[in-house]
Amino acid sequence: MNIKEYISSGIIESYVLGLASNEERAEFEQLSSMHAELRQAREAFEISLEQHALDNAVNPPVALKQKIWNDIDWRATGAATTVGQPIQQPLTPVRSMSFAKFLAAASVILLAGSTLLNFYFYNQYKSTSTQLQDLIAQNQQMASNNIIMQTKLQQYEKSFVIFSDTNMYVVAMKGQPVAPQSITTVYWNRQTKDVYLLINDLQQPVSGKQYQLWAIVDGVPVDAGMLDMSLVGGLVKMKNIPKAQAFAITLENAGGSKTPTMPIYVMGKT
Amino acid sequence: MSLKARDQHSFSYLYDNYAGALYSIVLQVVPDKELASDVLQEVFVNIWRKIESYDPSKGRLFTWMLNVARNLAIDMVRSKAYQNSQKNQGMPESAFFDKAGSTTQQSVDNIGLKKVVGKLKTEHRVLIDLAYFKGYTHEEIAEIENLPLGTVKTRIRSALIQLRDYLK
Repeated sequence: MNIKEYISSGIIESYVLGLASNEERAEFEQLSSMHAELRQAREAFEISLEQHALDNAVNPPVALKQKIWNDIDWRATGAATTVGQPIQQPLTPVRSMSFAKFLAAASVILLAGSTLLNFYFYNQYKSTSTQLQDLIAQNQQMASNNIIMQTKLQQYEKSFVIFSDTNMYVVAMKGQPVAPQSITTVYWNRQTKDVYLLINDLQQPVSGKQYQLWAIVDGVPVDAGMLDMSLVGGLVKMKNIPKAQAFAITLENAGGSKTPTMPIYVMGKT
Repeated sequence: MSLKARDQHSFSYLYDNYAGALYSIVLQVVPDKELASDVLQEVFVNIWRKIESYDPSKGRLFTWMLNVARNLAIDMVRSKAYQNSQKNQGMPESAFFDKAGSTTQQSVDNIGLKKVVGKLKTEHRVLIDLAYFKGYTHEEIAEIENLPLGTVKTRIRSALIQLRDYLK
């Protein structure tokens, strides 16, 4: 909008004399707050109007001032007396003033509302943040579970390769009188002489004890390796045994012994 | 502002300085001097009561008081009691604007803004009289004068621009 054109459009006179519509008044007040030029032009017209009115003053009856003074409740506050007083038509500046007050009130309400919203969003943020932490922890748990699964799967795949090797000789080892329910199996590769042990069923050893596999070679027990009970369910690679007539397992002190301590838990002949 | 502090002394100063100017405005709407002084009394009581609602950023104090006075005067002219009293006196509503005019009309036409408005072309003067001194809306004037609303608005604006130049 061209402010010079606006100033000379007659809107100033219309506004000051109270002839502008509500929309025109609102627009004028908004533009006045932005353009000093417009405020100056309004002020100039107001002054000329005021001067003209003062020059054309008509003295009211002398007694009127005293009548008014008697009529006014000097103690009453403006706001208190105005409420409930049917004061004719709303006056132009009064109306725009209450609009300004309304706006001020509205902005306070908006501020309060935004504070509430901030509080709400902050709580949302906190709870979302906690949820995120939980999800990260869960994700890490899943990842480590996945690693365990992958490892086990690799073990089973290896086991499967071993099982399906046609050179593999299977020695079933049966439970002896001290542990009749126990079963283990030795897979012995005739070509490479590698020995793998499958624990089918074997009681967990008491703490400080460990199972040890022996190869019986020409009547003499030869150490074939210690059992890792954490690998139950998979094939455990033991020591390479070139020749043996039987395999047996005894319970030894953790770390193993040079010669087996009786009794034998499981045994199988080749 | 001392007036807002309910300073009787300030209010007395205000009355002494502006009562005459405001009385003149009221007289231009309510030509009867006795009724006009009743309106003026109401004007000052209202100024006292409502001074808190005056916003200096929206205009000068006199402009605000002028509008209080004009509005109360128009309310008086529009009141049933006033309309009835005018009928009883056998005075047509447009009396103080008739060319032939009575003595009351003569004196009123020669004071304040009315004098300035008198310099306008008839088509402008009639509209300013209806809008400013009788308080009709542009829509009401369009109906009264049987003119398109746009024409009423344009004529009033152009009349106001001329008034501004006359007041300078």
